[in-house]
Amino acid sequence: MKLPRGVRVDVLEGVRIALFSLKANRLRTVLTTLGIGIGVATLLAIVGIIQGLNTSFHRQLATFGANTLYVSKFPWAMKGDWWVYRNRKNFTMDQVTRLRSLAPFLSAISPTVQRVADVAYGGEQLSTVRIQGVTHEYLTISGYEVTAGRFLTEADDEVTRPVAVIGADVADGLFPGISPLGQSIRIDNRTFQVVGTLSRKGKIVNESLDLVVFVPFKSFYSSFGKGRGLEIAMAVADPTQVRRAEDQLVGILRRIRGTPPGLPDDFSINKPEAMAQTYEQLTGALYGVAVGVGLITLLVGGIGIMNIMLVSVRERTREIGVRRALGARKRTIVFQFLMEAASVSAVGGLLGTTAGLGTAKVVSLITPLAADVQATTVVGGVAFAAVVGLLFGIWPAARAANLDPVEALRYE
Amino acid sequence: MSDGSSAGKLIEVEDITRVFHVGGEEVRALRGVSFGISRGEWVAIIGQSGSGKSTLMNVLGCLDTPSSGRYTLNGKDVSRMSDDELAVIRNEEIGFIFQTFQLLPRETALANVELPLVYRGLPARERRERAKAALEKVQLAHRMHHRPNELSGGQRQRVAIARALVAQPSMLLADEPTGNLDSATGEEIVRLFEELHRAGNTLVLVTHEPKLAARCPRAIRLSDGQVVADGPGREVALGIGAAVMAAGGT
Repeated sequence: MKLPRGVRVDVLEGVRIALFSLKANRLRTVLTTLGIGIGVATLLAIVGIIQGLNTSFHRQLATFGANTLYVSKFPWAMKGDWWVYRNRKNFTMDQVTRLRSLAPFLSAISPTVQRVADVAYGGEQLSTVRIQGVTHEYLTISGYEVTAGRFLTEADDEVTRPVAVIGADVADGLFPGISPLGQSIRIDNRTFQVVGTLSRKGKIVNESLDLVVFVPFKSFYSSFGKGRGLEIAMAVADPTQVRRAEDQLVGILRRIRGTPPGLPDDFSINKPEAMAQTYEQLTGALYGVAVGVGLITLLVGGIGIMNIMLVSVRERTREIGVRRALGARKRTIVFQFLMEAASVSAVGGLLGTTAGLGTAKVVSLITPLAADVQATTVVGGVAFAAVVGLLFGIWPAARAANLDPVEALRYE
Repeated sequence: MSDGSSAGKLIEVEDITRVFHVGGEEVRALRGVSFGISRGEWVAIIGQSGSGKSTLMNVLGCLDTPSSGRYTLNGKDVSRMSDDELAVIRNEEIGFIFQTFQLLPRETALANVELPLVYRGLPARERRERAKAALEKVQLAHRMHHRPNELSGGQRQRVAIARALVAQPSMLLADEPTGNLDSATGEEIVRLFEELHRAGNTLVLVTHEPKLAARCPRAIRLSDGQVVADGPGREVALGIGAAVMAAGGT
């Protein structure tokens, strides 16, 4: 019966007095609040922008399809000595054919080979366009959609037709206002006839996925030479079995490539998901630094709180004496000042959250970075600020409670 | 035998000392003080500054504990209590009245009077009712929503008295209650004390003013940390009669 009464007095009175004194010292409260608020805002804006980056990156990766795998001699996330990968044998078309017959769990498979070149039509020219040689099955693996005309066919490849399917950026860049279908584009003085255009896919790490020209695989080899190593793109029939497919692929690929037992794989199975991991490692470092900066700002804000609480304790020394004389226990006084510190910080946290969200929003509006702040971040921001206030309020509160009531009553 | 007679006393102080250590030096503010106060008594504690009366008041008010000796208040030995226990005693047994009023400047008169009941944990409605009743007792019900700076000195002290009364303590402990008031207002407050005395309250009044002490039925004179006189207020205050003990007798 004693405990609930004590808690009621400590907490309710503590909160009431805290709010009362915050109201009485509005300007001071606002200034103190700013310190914490700026810290929280910094943290949130950074967290929001980085979360947004990650989300948009994942969204872009998702357009590749969760069931796609890419096999080549280079891993996407290169670790260690580049020469080790460089010296692996190139994949050949023959290996692609054998893989198709040995891996019935694949629903689509296409060799791909690529280079970067200038593409021209009439007087218009686009530079650094990705030219990619693929077969008809590549369409389902890549996730592009045909917006006009058609994609490459089996026949295109068989008879080495000089045809091309172009990405949205190429279509916009070379054919503003006119239909590209049936037009001839030049790549390195080779002429290709446009037979189809593709839907827009956006950017991934600032590289446009739409600045691309697809030509039949064999046409690529005959036009640009066979020197380049090829990558094999494939889609697993059952998206839930990607892991198993990967394991099976290792065995099949070793057999096809004649890798002797005991030697490591001389190929890499790449997944969009693995790329995401690399990307997150990259942003993770940035994240760490940014969060560190935010924490330092919060620390400064916290010291501001501590400072102002010490002033508040000094100012109200007599009040503390009176309260103690009238029956306030030490912990009631502790609570009073802790609540005051926590309230200032929580208000700061709220302001900071709003400002941080606003900043992130503005950034997402005026830059291509998509900011994305989750509800947990908001709640976390306010709660975190309150905890900072509590921590930095402990010492001033303890000082207040340990004042000798006799001395406190006499304080001028 | 003395145990039997002191059992009925509200306050029983037995051979209390209080030693302070100031910069490595011992200051003996109280040097073996003993007396008893019965329920309903009005006692002045009188002495020059430095006589130890402030220290005695702090001990009686449970704001401080004696270095040795025993202090029993309302049957409870408070001389060895913990800080938290003393806070409860102050809340339930003692009503403080200070020379400088010690009202919280930002709170209204009503909120100031409610304060002891807040720490007792009473619900808001009951607090309000009892605080209003206490303010009525000191004829200040009409000023209850005013802040201290909107009240005169006499009114402020009456608010403080209402605050001391509201928790129905065993004793009212007043420290120079008229010290900051002009003589007319001071007289008003003394009249109020007389009234409270007649109503059965126990009053302990600490003062250096003989004139004030002379109006109390009983006075205890302190000098150099010891009781040098204890008897009818007029006699102790004026230094006449049998109440005056042989000073320096120890």
